[in-house]
Amino acid sequence: MDIKLRELSDEELILEFQKNNTEAAFNILVQKYKNPLTNFVFRFLGDYEACADVVQETMIKVYRYKDSYSSVAKFSTWVYTIAGNLARTEYRRQRRRNIFSINDYGEEHKTYDLPDESYRPDVITDSGIKDEIIQKALLKVKEAYREAVILRDIQGMSYEEISEILGVNEGTVKSRINRGRAQLQELLKGIYKE
Amino acid sequence: MENDEKKYEDVIKALNSLQEVKAPANFEADLQRRINSEKFSKEEKKGFWENIFLPSKLIPSLGLVAAAVVIFFIVDTNPEEMDNPFLIEPRVREDVFVIAEYEELEQKQEEFSKQKSLKKNEPIREKRRDEDKLKSSERDESTIENIKIEGQRNSLEGKKELGRESGDVVDVLTDDKDLPEDKEIVSGAYAVAESTIVDSLAVPQPTTATVTSSELVTGQIITKEELNFRQVQLTEEEQKTVNELKVHVQSVEKPNKSQK
Repeated sequence: MDIKLRELSDEELILEFQKNNTEAAFNILVQKYKNPLTNFVFRFLGDYEACADVVQETMIKVYRYKDSYSSVAKFSTWVYTIAGNLARTEYRRQRRRNIFSINDYGEEHKTYDLPDESYRPDVITDSGIKDEIIQKALLKVKEAYREAVILRDIQGMSYEEISEILGVNEGTVKSRINRGRAQLQELLKGIYKE
Repeated sequence: MENDEKKYEDVIKALNSLQEVKAPANFEADLQRRINSEKFSKEEKKGFWENIFLPSKLIPSLGLVAAAVVIFFIVDTNPEEMDNPFLIEPRVREDVFVIAEYEELEQKQEEFSKQKSLKKNEPIREKRRDEDKLKSSERDESTIENIKIEGQRNSLEGKKELGRESGDVVDVLTDDKDLPEDKEIVSGAYAVAESTIVDSLAVPQPTTATVTSSELVTGQIITKEELNFRQVQLTEEEQKTVNELKVHVQSVEKPNKSQK
């Protein structure tokens, strides 16, 4: 049974789960998508714990609202759309929380820029640190551009898939990707010199 | 598009080189636990009506009902109490029940109507009295004025006796021109005379009316017959003759005046 299910495509698996409530099909989908979704959400949020929660929430939504999936769309598109929405909500919540936590200690209605002491070009030797710098640069890119860049250059999705996930046309996707890349290039100038 | 990718080649390479972040090892176990807990909580969830009618939750709902009842009785929309019309006793009409016999009732009604009529007539009588008083006072005033006029007239007649050989009517007509200083007095006399002529010509009136008009002139009672001119409607020929006479008199008087 399990072997047969593994041969099925994502769309067939979700349909199996919809019709027969086959939890094994759902588990296969979870195994298949847990890492790509974790990678996508982490690059967007920059917080691993929050990322794990968001991915779990995404899977729970797939489980609970399996009937709302229509076979017209790709499963990957559907699940990335859910994950993207939840990630955006979490990111905004985190940002609000940070602003309020700073305001608690200072004057009201006044925000502070946190000094980025972790970025030190003189110690860029380890790949782990390089990853961290790129991640921090990604987090500085505008929200809409960041999501498009991650889906394209990290997740390796096509423009069509990205337009379906983001709910915008392909032209908008391309422009967003280019603008995100431009911002990143500006932010990562020091790394390239090395 | 290819140009853009070449332009941002370094960025794309840097992003591709990022290590893939993997889900935690206990991801599936945690997920399963959460799903099961959600299932359990779903089973525990009860409907709205079930929640309301649980014995422990009956207390607030009963309290709510009690409060609603109290409010209903305190805030009464109709302040007047509505009695059952079938249970209300009819009013006792004393005016009907006190009079035992029909005759007495009739007598009372007559008395009542008499009283009413008396009350109504009183103001009318008072009005009549007032009117009479007003009329009498007006008469007194007019007689006083007439006496004055008569006195003045007599004095004038005494002065102008010489120039008057013809009748009184002609005198009156000529006086108007000769004595402008006494115009007002003479015009009053004219008016009275003319009014008497017109009165007699138009409609025959009782003598009392003429008496009153003559009183205005002399201050004494003078009948129409005593007046010194004829009350006849003149024909065209007669009118012509009168006019000729007037002209003749005027022509006679002019040389007299010039001689004076």
